[in-house]
Amino acid sequence: MSVVRAMDKTMTCSEFQDTIPDLFEAHADLNAQEHIKACENCAALVRDLEYIASQAKLLLPMHDPSPAVWNNIQQALRHTPGEPPAPLGRK
Amino acid sequence: MERFVLMNAGPTQPRPANQHMRRNPPIAGEEEAIEKARNGDARAFETLYAMHKRRVYSLCLRMLGNVAEAEDLTQEAFLQLYRKIGTFRGDSAFSTWLHRLAVNVVLMHLRRKGLPQVSLEETLEPSQDDGPRKDIGARDLTLSGSIDRVTLERAIENLPPGYRLVFVLHDVEGYEHNEIAEMLDCSIGNSKSQLHKARMKLRDLLHTGQRKEQIA
Repeated sequence: MSVVRAMDKTMTCSEFQDTIPDLFEAHADLNAQEHIKACENCAALVRDLEYIASQAKLLLPMHDPSPAVWNNIQQALRHTPGEPPAPLGRK
Repeated sequence: MERFVLMNAGPTQPRPANQHMRRNPPIAGEEEAIEKARNGDARAFETLYAMHKRRVYSLCLRMLGNVAEAEDLTQEAFLQLYRKIGTFRGDSAFSTWLHRLAVNVVLMHLRRKGLPQVSLEETLEPSQDDGPRKDIGARDLTLSGSIDRVTLERAIENLPPGYRLVFVLHDVEGYEHNEIAEMLDCSIGNSKSQLHKARMKLRDLLHTGQRKEQIA
């Protein structure tokens, strides 16, 4: 369904929701869509989807691997000094 | 078109997409460590591990949702780094290159396990069960401003694996749909569809969590 069609205020919720992926991809201003202006449920849906996408971009790496990971890497490197190490399984 | 074949785990030299560059600023001392590690300096390799272990592990953990597997593949990614660091040409940020290598390691692992959600295009097709609800009757709670990081991380963990892969690669890691389609050997349309369904599923999971909190 085209982005232009999303401007049609006669759209049903179902029809509008089908256009959301394309609207997101086009970086369109979803809040400017006619359907959104008249439909609180779809407006809430769009707000949530925008919020989820924006929060995901803010997620930072928070967890460190256990020390065993580096120990295993060191051990693998020691097994074949001077040569590319073979992959090891979990120790 | 060059295919991102999982059998060849070496990372391609990705284009320096803005988001990758924003997320991967140069790290002090990294360039020197790379140069020394290329010449076999074990201490320099340890320095690179210390610089990048958290990001690589977090990437593996988010893609897999499993601590033991994430640790195994972090290990495998750094062993591959050790073998391949000589092929790093510096066309992109080192961290961008390394993260692409790590993504490859995870995807190859999933292919080896035969998980259908990354091996067959048709299994990436939308599922009716997880599809968006249409013509919603009752007004839902709104999420805006109410999700903390831990809650969102937990919800991502609970996504079906195929959805989780696309969501993490696109919304968290900043890959474009054409890159994801290449990595997962699916169409761009499929990647877009999976991302939308992943966001819809996340919304459901987050709303459900909010309702449970309110009841409690």
